Amino acid sequence: MKIKIFNREICVCALLATNSICAKSSAEMGKTVRGRIWLYYGRKIFNFLVSMLFLSVAVFFVARLAPGDPLRSYYGDRVEKMSPEERERAEERLGLKEPVLTQYIRWLEHALQGDFGISYKYKRNVSEVIGARLGNTLMLGGISLALILILAPGLGIWCAWHEDKWQDRLVCRAGTVLSCIPEFWLSLVLVFIFAVSLRWLPGSGACSPGREDDISDRIQHLILPLAVAVTNHLWYYAYMIRNRILEEARAEYVLLARSKGLSKRTVFFRHCLRNVLPVYLGLMAISVPHILGGTYIVEMVFSYPGIGTLAYESVQYQDYNMLMLLSMFSGILVMTCSAISRTINAWIDPGMKNTENVLDGR
Amino acid sequence: MDNGFVQVGIRPVSLPVEEKRRKEGKRPIVSVIVLGGIILGCVCCGLFTRGDPGRMDLYQAGQAPDIRHWFGTDTMGRDLFTMIWYGGRISLFIGVCATVVSTLIAVFYGTAGALGPKWADALLTRFMEIFLCVPGLLLVVLVQALLGKANVLSLSFVIGITGWTGIARVVRTQVSQIRSCEYVIASRCMGAGFFRILRRHLAPNFVSSILFMVIMNIRGAILYESTLSFMGLGLPLDVISWGSMLSLAGNNLIYGSWWTVLIPGAFLVATLLCITNIGSYLQKNGDPRQRNL
Repeated sequence: MKIKIFNREICVCALLATNSICAKSSAEMGKTVRGRIWLYYGRKIFNFLVSMLFLSVAVFFVARLAPGDPLRSYYGDRVEKMSPEERERAEERLGLKEPVLTQYIRWLEHALQGDFGISYKYKRNVSEVIGARLGNTLMLGGISLALILILAPGLGIWCAWHEDKWQDRLVCRAGTVLSCIPEFWLSLVLVFIFAVSLRWLPGSGACSPGREDDISDRIQHLILPLAVAVTNHLWYYAYMIRNRILEEARAEYVLLARSKGLSKRTVFFRHCLRNVLPVYLGLMAISVPHILGGTYIVEMVFSYPGIGTLAYESVQYQDYNMLMLLSMFSGILVMTCSAISRTINAWIDPGMKNTENVLDGR
Repeated sequence: MDNGFVQVGIRPVSLPVEEKRRKEGKRPIVSVIVLGGIILGCVCCGLFTRGDPGRMDLYQAGQAPDIRHWFGTDTMGRDLFTMIWYGGRISLFIGVCATVVSTLIAVFYGTAGALGPKWADALLTRFMEIFLCVPGLLLVVLVQALLGKANVLSLSFVIGITGWTGIARVVRTQVSQIRSCEYVIASRCMGAGFFRILRRHLAPNFVSSILFMVIMNIRGAILYESTLSFMGLGLPLDVISWGSMLSLAGNNLIYGSWWTVLIPGAFLVATLLCITNIGSYLQKNGDPRQRNL
């Protein structure tokens, strides 16, 4: 033990020494370093923009390659009664006659000016349609996100504190079972129990017709979807946090702190948890697109008028403009969140940042 | 040690390796038996079920479980007991097939990224990032449309090409750690090709670390198949799988036939749970580096 500590001190000394050397040299070359940092962020932003461009190209062409009739989403069943001339005129009016590349360039021009075109199905501006539904999804996704981010660390900490006791085992068992239940099946069962058999809670929609402003009614409609969304993701994050804490509890400084006479509680809450906190922050950033993206099945089963249902419709009915904007949204969300979590990770562990710099810079 | 002495000095360390190993190495016997039973039942379902699973008997429609129909019948009068086994056959088959597809893609993608030139690696990584942003639903609908009418093989292919990114990332990391080992370089110097290096030197090294992910991928594929079929994007209703059975049950929920929802769902959950248990056992015990605590 003693030798280990000794070694560790030597390491720390060496680290400090190298750090101070680095600090000196970097102070000398302050300007170039700052320039490099700007270059670094500039490159990041450039990469992001290029990725978005590629994403838009990919989605645009893929959507148009997929067989299907966008006119159907615009005109509904009337499409079948249209004469060929009428069809032609309609296609021309929607700009579907031109080559795909021209269509894409036109879309890009308009999109850069903030005009994303009209939705074929709703005949209104895409951004308007999405805006009308965004609130619903944000409410469902936001509340479930908040619940998960509060409950998961609580559960994880509780399990780690009682490691290998019956409480921990029980929760682990239950969590594994819960995480194996498919989202749609859980929704079905809950709807069956609470909406069909007991008639306690409504089984679909975001509010009863005619009671759009009634908050208690909206809350009632939210309970079941929320329950499904939370149970489905909760254990995944709680388990990750639990394992991270357990790993931390095996570290050598814990043994040292204990042998100095600190109580288990102090070491656990003051030292271990503090070290796990940054990991939790990184996890939070990644969880945003994961949880928000995971609500679409829930939205579908409960026919909840949100972005998820909209995305499903736009894919099924070839509502091109809608699809484009939604994909851009999800792309921005995913990339931003992963960039944030990477930044947090780099902040925790500068070694990782260096390696990443090397990777990016080559 | 309750002999009146207060023990000072070295804390008794409760870390007998044997005990620890026994605890971690507890084999998931129940899971293996249950999963084995389900697989066996699905493979030889012709032996103990009566008749064609798709046979409709409208006089018997919507019956609760009884002696004649152990699991009841659905709204089209099909016997659920027969359907479960035949449906499981398809669900499990899709799970395995899709995983084979994704694992193959992932291994080649990851190895190519790690072994290839740096620009290729950067390009592949970037492509994977963009790929992760493309909505999965869109991809499924597109590939399905390109392959024609949905059938078992096309659906497994579709699920396979949407679920390879996780494994690919692990393979890439592992291979880039061992690519500059002497034996790889030596083998390359002696003129070994890409596939030989992959098979002889690289694969044995990363197999243990992707095994868990591969097994979880089977689970994910079964889950995805049932979700897709449930949403009406997967198998048509006349091809019986657990997903399509649940899809039909979901539409007829209002009639209060609980058995059409609960029984296929229970089979699905049991299968997924067993796979998870076996997977996490392999994860704990497959990797020798994790055993030092």
